[in-house]
Amino acid sequence: MKIDRRSFLALGIGAAAGTAFTPLPWKLTDDLSIWTQNWPWTPVPEDGDAYYDHSVCTLCPGGCGILVRKINDRIVKIEGMPSHPVNRGGICALGISGPQLLYGPDRVIAPMKRSGARGEGKWTTLSWDDAIAEVLDRLKKLEADNKTEHLACICDTDRGTVPQLFKRMLSLFGSPNFMTTPSMYDSYEAVLKKMHGRKDTLDIGFDFENTDFILSFGSGVIEGWGSPVRMIMANSAWKTKKAKQIQIEQRLSNTAASSNGLFAVKPGTEADLALGLACVIMEEELYDKAFTGAYSTGFPEFRNMVTKNYNPDVVAEKTGIERHLIIELARHFASAGTSSLAICGRGKGQTAGSMMEFMAVHSLNALVGKINTPGGVWSVEHPDYIPWAKEMNVRAAIAGKKRIDEAGSPVYPDSLSLLNRLPSKILESKESPIEMLFVSNANPAYTLAGTDKVIEALGKIPFIVSFSSYMDETADQADLILPNHIYLERYQDVPVRGGLARPVIGLTRPVVEPQYDTMHSGDVVLKLAKGLGGQVGEGFPWDDYKDCLEKTMADRWKELEETGFWTDEAYQPKPWAGAFGGTYGKFAFSDTILPLPDLEGDVKDYPLILIPKESMRISSSHIGDTPFTVKTVPDTELKGKTLVIEINPRTGKEQGLADGKDAVLKTPLGQVRVKVSFFEGIMPGLMAMPKGLGHTAYGKYLKGKGASYNALVGPMEDPVSGQDISWGIRARISRV
Amino acid sequence: MDSAFIPKGVKRCSFGTFSLGMLVLTAIVFWGFYAAILCWLKGLNQTNMNDSYGFALWIWADLAVIAIGGGAFFTGLLRYVIGLDELKNIINFAVIVGFCCYCSAMLILAIDIGQPLRGWFIFWHANVHSMLTEVAFCLSLYLSVLAIEYIPILLENRKIDEVPFFHNLGHTMHGAMAVFAATGAFLSCFHQGSLGGVTGVLFGRPFGYREGIFVWPWTFFLYTWSAAACGPCFTMLTCKITEKISGKKLVKDNVYDLLGKISGWMIGTYMVAKIADTLYWAYVTSPSLGFAVMDYYNAHPLHHGIWILILEIVICGVLPAMILISRKGRANATLFTLATILAVIGVCLNRWVMVMTPMAMPVMTFDSWVSYFPSWQEVATTILPLAGGIMIVSLSFRYLPVFPQEQELNPVD
Amino acid sequence: MKKESSHEPGRKYGMVIDLDKCTGCGSCMVACMAENNVSFKEDESNKLDSITWMRVYRLTNNKPFPETEIRYLPRPCMHCGGKGDLGHSPCVSVCPATATDYDHKTGIVSQIYTRCFGCRYCMAACPYHARYFNWWDPIWPADLKKSLSPNVSPRMRGVVEKCSFCFHRYQLAMERAYNEDRRELEEAEYQTACTQACPAGAIVFGDLNNPDHAVHTLKDHPNAFRLLERLGTNPKVYYISDREWVRRSGDNYLNNEKTNTKPAVQEHHS
Repeated sequence: MKIDRRSFLALGIGAAAGTAFTPLPWKLTDDLSIWTQNWPWTPVPEDGDAYYDHSVCTLCPGGCGILVRKINDRIVKIEGMPSHPVNRGGICALGISGPQLLYGPDRVIAPMKRSGARGEGKWTTLSWDDAIAEVLDRLKKLEADNKTEHLACICDTDRGTVPQLFKRMLSLFGSPNFMTTPSMYDSYEAVLKKMHGRKDTLDIGFDFENTDFILSFGSGVIEGWGSPVRMIMANSAWKTKKAKQIQIEQRLSNTAASSNGLFAVKPGTEADLALGLACVIMEEELYDKAFTGAYSTGFPEFRNMVTKNYNPDVVAEKTGIERHLIIELARHFASAGTSSLAICGRGKGQTAGSMMEFMAVHSLNALVGKINTPGGVWSVEHPDYIPWAKEMNVRAAIAGKKRIDEAGSPVYPDSLSLLNRLPSKILESKESPIEMLFVSNANPAYTLAGTDKVIEALGKIPFIVSFSSYMDETADQADLILPNHIYLERYQDVPVRGGLARPVIGLTRPVVEPQYDTMHSGDVVLKLAKGLGGQVGEGFPWDDYKDCLEKTMADRWKELEETGFWTDEAYQPKPWAGAFGGTYGKFAFSDTILPLPDLEGDVKDYPLILIPKESMRISSSHIGDTPFTVKTVPDTELKGKTLVIEINPRTGKEQGLADGKDAVLKTPLGQVRVKVSFFEGIMPGLMAMPKGLGHTAYGKYLKGKGASYNALVGPMEDPVSGQDISWGIRARISRV
Repeated sequence: MDSAFIPKGVKRCSFGTFSLGMLVLTAIVFWGFYAAILCWLKGLNQTNMNDSYGFALWIWADLAVIAIGGGAFFTGLLRYVIGLDELKNIINFAVIVGFCCYCSAMLILAIDIGQPLRGWFIFWHANVHSMLTEVAFCLSLYLSVLAIEYIPILLENRKIDEVPFFHNLGHTMHGAMAVFAATGAFLSCFHQGSLGGVTGVLFGRPFGYREGIFVWPWTFFLYTWSAAACGPCFTMLTCKITEKISGKKLVKDNVYDLLGKISGWMIGTYMVAKIADTLYWAYVTSPSLGFAVMDYYNAHPLHHGIWILILEIVICGVLPAMILISRKGRANATLFTLATILAVIGVCLNRWVMVMTPMAMPVMTFDSWVSYFPSWQEVATTILPLAGGIMIVSLSFRYLPVFPQEQELNPVD
Repeated sequence: MKKESSHEPGRKYGMVIDLDKCTGCGSCMVACMAENNVSFKEDESNKLDSITWMRVYRLTNNKPFPETEIRYLPRPCMHCGGKGDLGHSPCVSVCPATATDYDHKTGIVSQIYTRCFGCRYCMAACPYHARYFNWWDPIWPADLKKSLSPNVSPRMRGVVEKCSFCFHRYQLAMERAYNEDRRELEEAEYQTACTQACPAGAIVFGDLNNPDHAVHTLKDHPNAFRLLERLGTNPKVYYISDREWVRRSGDNYLNNEKTNTKPAVQEHHS
């Protein structure tokens, strides 16, 4: 037995030593390390021919041209298009992460019908034929009940063929209730109507490339305002040529930080400052007399009103800006070498602004004669390329029918759409005056102020059809989702409404095959129209959307397909003579000032003011953020799933808060648990929260992260335009 | 039950008691291995390390165990090369403790790297400029040396010794031990030094960076010196703990006294060098990089305060050196033990600060301090080798004639 | 000194970033992620384990409102030349397995993911926190694997990664040049993804040694500085700002010291 054990031992040791001299262990070690370099769960991207295809981004109104890098049939990268007149090769973070929208987990991959309660997230897929048949059934029922105006539609814009197809279908069907997502362009267009007196739609344009002095009333010039990439490029150009930019804002936004001076007016007194500057310009006779004399009306009245009510002392008191600074700023603005211009529209301009402010700012530009002049503010003629959008029989179909939001009515004659008024209109009625709602490229359940009310209103609408490509908040409330191709899979014309100084139309092209069972919304509308037949069906004489687009674009089509855009390189705005409409064909100053509504909330209960903080890194529109863009959100805005509030250290300490610690933020509309970040760059008494977080829909990369600004803030109606002009709310914050 | 394996002429606790102890240790080892397997299978997200704290508890544990394992090489050097014969009475134990320490370091390193299966790239694709390469080579070679030194002790087991081959092998190896000890001392000097170089060469990290001679920063020499100084303290401390647990004297006082005295002088000289180094670093090196010395200690006085420096240098450096150098201090058993404890804490603290503070401290002005607390997996895998070491020491003590003086000091009736 | 650099004039690619133009928009960060197959996970709000080869820091002068100022500072890998510009970058010199290397032809510090065994010594060495460890297995859910570029291999768990100055773009450009029998690259032929994407034009990239490239002149701008100049890391990324406090933020100074604007004189290879 002893021998056995001993020989066993010897054999063991011998075998071990022997094996060590064979290649086996070395080979195994090597194989193991090679295995770690080829773990099957770490993907190896398939190789293939790399090539670029061009298209246009639709993720914001900016209208940038993009180059899509492809490997075989995969999109691996999106870059800016160097030859595009808008972005000249630059591109924003969201635009680059487009492939994550295309291939990501938040897409609606087939038509779906709700199978649980609204917002419960239970869905069953169905075929496109069944889905369209269901919509048709309901439309026909509305038609039979003679309630065609009970159909409403919300689009992101009314520009371009796709929204116009929706609008046309609604009109021919008999509903005037085509609404669009609010933005500062609504205010600007109302200003152009009111002050330029033109009946046709004009686009506001800014000749930033040729200006030396930019006075921004809270506009996030480099934070997504206008066409974002173009603005950032313009900002760089200003730095190079040493142009001046002055920012009027209550916090050190990136724009303010990049500016040559920050005028921190008391919140809500921006319009007062504008009129105060106007007062100085007029009193010191610094205004453009050629313009005010021959090309304007109402100037003496305006002058009287302003000098009476907005002299620098009064304005200094109101705004908190010292008198001499107001005077200096006014002089600077009026005599800034060659060209100066004033802009407004807060943050990204995703909300409308008060008519008082917009008209005051526009009056400033007019006073210094910077309307339709180089480096000034332009009214840009809209490239009227959709002839069928203005057909008389289409208008006749809705003649006499009233819009639910009262846009265009005698109360709000200068507004085209007042989506912000829809929720309260629905909630006021016992039964929803809207029985069927189409939502395309919009997410009102997230982007409108007062989310709870919006969702309550949507809840009263019997049937909601979402055309969303993604599982967003509004899709969540829908009864039927008819997912659109995303922009990388479809054709679409993109007339740019981004404050450009010339008309630009881009063409979005299908750079990849549709990845899922989706359908172009234009084709869905055509199918619905044809299914309805009669007057509606006849109004859509095209085979499919592409046919419609090609025929609409007519001569421009070839150029669009080849280069991706059409523009008028040599565009010049109309000279003063001929630029204005109205009775006298002149610019109309106005001396009517309607008082602005107060900020919601009682000062005693809510001693602070909450304002939004907008950034290029967070999309606050109907497009949700991607894993990549969420990754760029700093930890001073989001920590884990908790939103971080920015507050001045002084105010923070007064409220008993500590930097980095938890707190509860409360507004009249709701409360949320937050973390606090002390930051010197915000006016004491204010709090800023990042806008664009707090989604209740989409997938795990976005859902439930932070809190939504719109859920905490209610709408505030402008007395003139009826637009929502809410820019903040009273709030309080306490330690937990 | 296992009496046939227990060395002749010594008394050991009952097999039951011993097994119970072993059971507890085995349970801890299993817990540690469970944590290690989690790290291997799921990756290092199981730890609380991050991109700032890329080196953390484990690297500290590595540096610390190797420093306190330095008793093996230094005692070996004194015994075999210098020829201090009395030390033969503690050298076996020093070797075993050192062996445990180095095994621990290897095990922790195997968990600490993100791709353990490629760990051998450090040899295959070696970068001679890297201190870590030097560490890896010397560490593994010295571990082999320690194993070789450990084998003859193993072979002295009663049952193994009965086999003539092993008996002869043991005898032959004993004869060659001086050569191995010398090799070990040489290797050990280098890797202790290169461990010091690990942070010393980081010229991007002003807290750890030290100037030096040729390719070696001052920490290279300080680490070697401190390991040689404090390693024997750990050997003596563990020896005393073994005496306490077994309830008998195992090493004569004159051996302690000799080793203690040498340690005392080593710690004393180390302290002179360390203080000089600290002053030079604080008043020359750091300011030239834009840091006032208190920039390091003022930002987080609780975790990275100046108190650590005072604790390390005064309380755990100068104080034990004074105790061990003075005859009276050595003669007082309590003070002697206290001194060894302080010295061990001191050297561990030194390694702690050199690993942790450079990770926590921002170098870019707009960066911020980072805090770190280890996850249970890190703690478990750090305790694992500790428990394993205790097991090896216990087993060796029970079944091997580790202490030549034991029989004489504890005659069995 | 080094043989490699003596027989070839040696390109030295680097960047000059105008901090007064940088708007902090994040395009560079996302362009980098998309170009280099950088992974992402559910929670990226812990910036200590969030892989961002290009990270944009916010600098502030800490003055009370309204005198407060901020600037954004994009931080790619600095591709340090190390002391004397000999290629002994802080990270390269410490990597035990030669998994990161200094390319003397371009001055670019490479990272070989399949050789890195994850010891993280390089991360401990880098004062810029430019190196990131893959604590997790990368996961691309839904069809997101389709968006991966074949030009850059996705990294596996347990290795370190960092900005490569889009080295694959250099290789592709060189390949094209060789096919056309050229050995030199035009400035526009090799640009990093972040440079290309930056809408502000704040990032300028090119060969610092080539007088025809914009960076060659820009780096000598009176307001140019490098991060942590005093450490002797010798980075290849320069920054420009007209603000003294910004330039001072670039390095550590004792209270009584003046801000040093001019980068230290470098050794050029000839």
